[in-house]
Amino acid sequence: MIGGLFLYNHKGEVLISRIYRDDIGRNACDAFRVNVIHARQHVRSPVTNIARTSFFHTKRGNIWLCAVTKQNVNAVMVFEFLMKMIDVMQSYFGKINEENIKNNFVLIYELLDEVLDFGYPQKTDTGILKTFITQQGIKTQIETLVNGAKTKEETTQITSQVTGQIGWRREGIKYRRNELFLDVLESVNLLMSPQGQVLSAHVAGRVVMKSFLSGMPECKFGMNDKLVLDKGNKTNDELSKNSSGGKPSIAIDDCTFHQCVKLSKFESERSISFIPADGEFELMRYRTTKDISLPFRVIPLVRDIARSKMEVKVVLKSNFKPTLLAQKIEIRIPTPLNTSGVQVLCMKGKAKYKASENAIVWKMKRMAGMKESQISAEIELLPTAEKKKWSRPPISMNFEVPFAPSGLKVRYLKVFEPKLNYNDHDVIKWVRYIGKSGLYETRC
Amino acid sequence: SSRGDAMRGLAVFISDIRNCKSKEAESKRINKELANIRSKFKGDKTLDGYSKKKYVCKLLFIFLLGHDIDFGHMEAVNLLSSNKYTEKQIGYLFISVLVSSNSDLMKLIIQNIKNDISSPKPVHVNLALHCIANIGSVEMSEAFGQEVPKLLVSAHASASVKQSAALCLLRLIRTLPEAMTYAEWASRVIHLLNDQHMWLTAATSLIHTLSQLSPGDYKGCVSLAVSRLSRIVTSTYTDLQDYTYYFVPAPWLSVKLLRLLQCYPVPEEPAVRGRLVECLETILNKCQEPPKSKKVQHSNSKNAVLFEAINLIIHIDSEPNLLVRACNQLGQFLQHRETNLRYLALESMCLLAGSEFSADAVKKHRETVINALKTERDVSVRQRAVDLLYAMCDKTNSEEIVAEMLAYLKKADYAIREEMVLKVAILSEKYASDYTWYVDTILKLIRVAGDYVSEEVWHRVIQIVINRDDAQGYAAKTVFENLQAPACHENMVKVGGYILGEFGNLIAGDERSSPLVQFNLLHSKFHLCTPSTRALLLSTYIKFINLFPEIKPTIQNVLQNNNQLRNADVELQQRALEYSQLSSITSQDVLATVLEEMPPFPERESSILAKLKKKKPASVQVSLVGCFISTYVSVQVSLVGDTLMDAFDDVLTLPADLGESPSTESTEHANRPNGLAKKIISPGFLLRFKLIHFKNLLIFADTIPTGSKGMRGLEFFFGVLFENALIQVGVKCEFKEQYGRVGLFFGNKTGNQLQNFAAAVSLGPEHQGKINVATQKEPPSQIDGGAQVQHFINLECISMFSGSPNLQLRYQHSSAPQQVTLKLPVIINKFMEGVDMNSGDFFSRWKQLGQPTQETQKIFQARHPIDTEAARTKLTGFGMCALTNVDPNPENLVGSGIIKTKTSQIGCLLRLEPNKQAKMYRLTVRSSVGEAAALICSMLEE
Repeated sequence: MIGGLFLYNHKGEVLISRIYRDDIGRNACDAFRVNVIHARQHVRSPVTNIARTSFFHTKRGNIWLCAVTKQNVNAVMVFEFLMKMIDVMQSYFGKINEENIKNNFVLIYELLDEVLDFGYPQKTDTGILKTFITQQGIKTQIETLVNGAKTKEETTQITSQVTGQIGWRREGIKYRRNELFLDVLESVNLLMSPQGQVLSAHVAGRVVMKSFLSGMPECKFGMNDKLVLDKGNKTNDELSKNSSGGKPSIAIDDCTFHQCVKLSKFESERSISFIPADGEFELMRYRTTKDISLPFRVIPLVRDIARSKMEVKVVLKSNFKPTLLAQKIEIRIPTPLNTSGVQVLCMKGKAKYKASENAIVWKMKRMAGMKESQISAEIELLPTAEKKKWSRPPISMNFEVPFAPSGLKVRYLKVFEPKLNYNDHDVIKWVRYIGKSGLYETRC
Repeated sequence: SSRGDAMRGLAVFISDIRNCKSKEAESKRINKELANIRSKFKGDKTLDGYSKKKYVCKLLFIFLLGHDIDFGHMEAVNLLSSNKYTEKQIGYLFISVLVSSNSDLMKLIIQNIKNDISSPKPVHVNLALHCIANIGSVEMSEAFGQEVPKLLVSAHASASVKQSAALCLLRLIRTLPEAMTYAEWASRVIHLLNDQHMWLTAATSLIHTLSQLSPGDYKGCVSLAVSRLSRIVTSTYTDLQDYTYYFVPAPWLSVKLLRLLQCYPVPEEPAVRGRLVECLETILNKCQEPPKSKKVQHSNSKNAVLFEAINLIIHIDSEPNLLVRACNQLGQFLQHRETNLRYLALESMCLLAGSEFSADAVKKHRETVINALKTERDVSVRQRAVDLLYAMCDKTNSEEIVAEMLAYLKKADYAIREEMVLKVAILSEKYASDYTWYVDTILKLIRVAGDYVSEEVWHRVIQIVINRDDAQGYAAKTVFENLQAPACHENMVKVGGYILGEFGNLIAGDERSSPLVQFNLLHSKFHLCTPSTRALLLSTYIKFINLFPEIKPTIQNVLQNNNQLRNADVELQQRALEYSQLSSITSQDVLATVLEEMPPFPERESSILAKLKKKKPASVQVSLVGCFISTYVSVQVSLVGDTLMDAFDDVLTLPADLGESPSTESTEHANRPNGLAKKIISPGFLLRFKLIHFKNLLIFADTIPTGSKGMRGLEFFFGVLFENALIQVGVKCEFKEQYGRVGLFFGNKTGNQLQNFAAAVSLGPEHQGKINVATQKEPPSQIDGGAQVQHFINLECISMFSGSPNLQLRYQHSSAPQQVTLKLPVIINKFMEGVDMNSGDFFSRWKQLGQPTQETQKIFQARHPIDTEAARTKLTGFGMCALTNVDPNPENLVGSGIIKTKTSQIGCLLRLEPNKQAKMYRLTVRSSVGEAAALICSMLEE
């Protein structure tokens, strides 16, 4: 039960304040500003307790979002809600910044009335919200929009649909071209020792679907999940030998689904079947920790040459099919706090010492698989009054690769629409894999 | 210079930081700047003074934003050698803010400061002085403790330099008082008070501290300060007219001077004294004048001077006229609008109440103070009002004041309740003309604020009731009435339990408070109480069995109830078991002896007062007459641990002493309870019973500091006398008057039997006829492996003896005969009892024993550093009573004691005069028997 929701700008001025419960006073937003935003020490915990009131906050750009409660709520639920709220606002008016928020006061308050009722989260799905909060957001770049008034018929239809069994999709949708897009988006997290030992690694993935299908189609989604395949083995030996024999399968640690997925069917048959929401939605989220193919390997070499000089050498190896291309590669090599000068030398890409971040940043536009590249730098140090040991933060990197590091593969996505006369073959389907770096770090 | 002090880079940097939109942006900007400065400070580059100053400034700014700075120190030190004021200034600023006192650079910095201090430019000297004061470390004190005073008295130093030097020196002295030689500068520093300039406010602060540290050297400042003060205060002088602040001439300086004068006693020269009194009168007069301004600064500064003057008047405490006037002035403030003034007035009045001259004047304001207690909104002011009431209380107004305090207690703030309870308890005791009033007051106190009534308070009421025969009946009656309230505080139950247990019989005649009614009333509270109270109630019940045999079955039922016998609390279980056994097995006579009424407590300082003193060491000026000697502590101390409990067998004779008169012969009273107990109870139980009863005694001692007569003057200790691979000999001794009892414990440490065991006291020729030895029974002739046997020896001192008797120990281990001779810890001083006497008594006796044969004097070297406290403890341990306030010289130790032997009682007096310079002691002992004096003298010398 969220007691209230506040939005602040970077100075701590309240932009939006909506209170849902009486136990939260008006001074709550001041308390958060004083104790968190303007705190002398940077507050790292996303949950702060002030005078038996809990504040859950997250930051987007320069905007602070903060949910307040006096009850003992599920903190994860609150953050999930805050993230959803961010998604909703983004889909209504684009980037979340002070100007956009100020331009959309009325819309935001209307949204806040809808997504929370007496502090309990209600519908937070953008698609559904857009059916009854038809006000268009005002984006910074002005877009032309037509906002016709709804007829009475339409409003009753919306009511019955939103409160109905399939709340996420309205009837009577028609497309000339039945088309769907499936994105497998993954982020790889890694912590590796200087000797190349994996200390921790996991992949957080999402399957995002964008559907433009007519009528009320029923879809069935299949992937190379070990459990599903095993299940298939048992039920139909012959089939499994043909379809999955030899193909690698992955072990999913846990997953969550969009509300449209029929969980009972998943429980019993391990099959993911659903009536998709119209437009874009997140079909599932999952996490894997086993058999991750790490796209890059960072090999650091740090040497103290003299009291006032050290040398850093970093070798980067790409570890995927040579035909694939990784993009947006960025490696961040931290430098000691008493660095007084840096000379960098690299074979590929651009490297630069960024004093403001205390790091050498090495960027490459793209890199093919099974390649190797290296950078070396000489760092001059200034003697300091106190001999404090440098904590040697890990080398971190960012990248984007066109495959799923977890090894997940989409096996099929079947569409059935019994009432309308199109079938699976008529639907144009697109599948795309994107692997991104999360916290991808190597100690040095 | 054209670039001047602009430091555009710094201004740009600061405005960049201020324009940052977020913390992240700010820290990015700072990182960038730090990297930039680091690259500039790199070893191979040379920077001009201006750039150095600019970057050091930036570093300072970054530091002030809360970031760590760990470089740039060298550059800052370099700035010190610049000739430009601003560069030097920034250098010093950085150093005083950022360089830690243990830095390697400190030597270099000190060198630079030395150069600047001797510079002809006053601004440079000032910068250096400020830096010294800001760092203010021990190292600085050592380096400049001698330099700074020179500047202070130098002929050509400017006023501003002198001011800085004075404050700097003040700081150095506070860090390291021994840094400066006080006497050397005294006369010249004192004469700074004659200086024309205003900087002498700083000088006065310095002189104030100096006179506190070395009062003798700076005594001369008094007359100068008085004349200075009179020149300021008296309007005819135009001295310091430039420094008038809102029509008050030089208020800060006046206050400082008045404080300085409080360091010294009243000046003796009549002229100075007259002038001072005149000044104080003038200050008091000025307060009567209508204010010259309505501004708050005017009244504040005027009052500041006034309050400091009143403090001085209180300090002088010999001018009745001034004291009364001060008191009247404060009386006016009591009703002032300003809360601070009311507070200060009450606080000062508290001090005035302590003076004999103004006490009566203070008492006139009683009504106002009581009113303040009721109506004042500020809690701290109310607190002061309570203090003042406490201070002004006397025989005539005590009843009213106590009543008012009790009334206020109901709504008093929680923080001060406990203290108020103590104060009420003390006042009611101190001024109690009639003990029924006292008992009423304390019981009301417990009723009103039971939670805040500490142990000491209710212990005290019981002590007083037990000692006052006239109050006992009334106390029993009142307690009984109070207990009838449906909800009464646990402390009330404790007091009630104790008093009814002792004196319940006094009210038992009344139908309404018959024994059974009393018992039922107490028992109805039993279940609501904590274990300690329940334990006390169980003791009350057993006392009831003695007092009222007719309700014995009822009480036995309660004692034998499973709630008690199987209580989770061991103490309750034990008491219930032992008491029920005691009541069922023993005869009425034994019960009557064991459970007789408690003897009166010896008089001693009220424990409540001690507690209040502990709480507020400064605020207690009242002292109560009389002094208790608590004996139970020594018993407790010797009770080392539960494991040694079984060694306490003979201590257990103590409970039987409860009712015995102290004249009972020691041997007899050691034997009797044993035999008595043996007759009635099985041996195993006997031991337990004794132990528990002993513990009970301790618990009684805990709850009520009992002065059990049997224990007073009884000294005992125990320890291991001898130990080898085969045998361990433990010893425990008790001495009382001329009797002693030595308990020996022989422990066989081997696995085999020791055979042909024999232990006998052998008296050498020097002891024959001087000590009587009797053994209760022969020790067993063999000791089993791992076993321990006991052996008791009774001693009686017939006359003076020296040395100590021997113990012959013979035994056979694996057929090899062994023999050991041990010295028994029986020395003549064990038979000595301390005697407390006052100065007059002591010296009259001292003179009586004036013959040369009666005195022994020795002068000897002190082996340890001379410590009066330690020596006093030793003396007390020796058996003498260390007397205080007898000898005019407090360093000297004076003691007195009596050696009790069968044939005579030998009085001994002692003086120990330490000579600290020579590390020598002179010990003089006088005794009625010359031999004894010599003996004690030689023993003490060791």
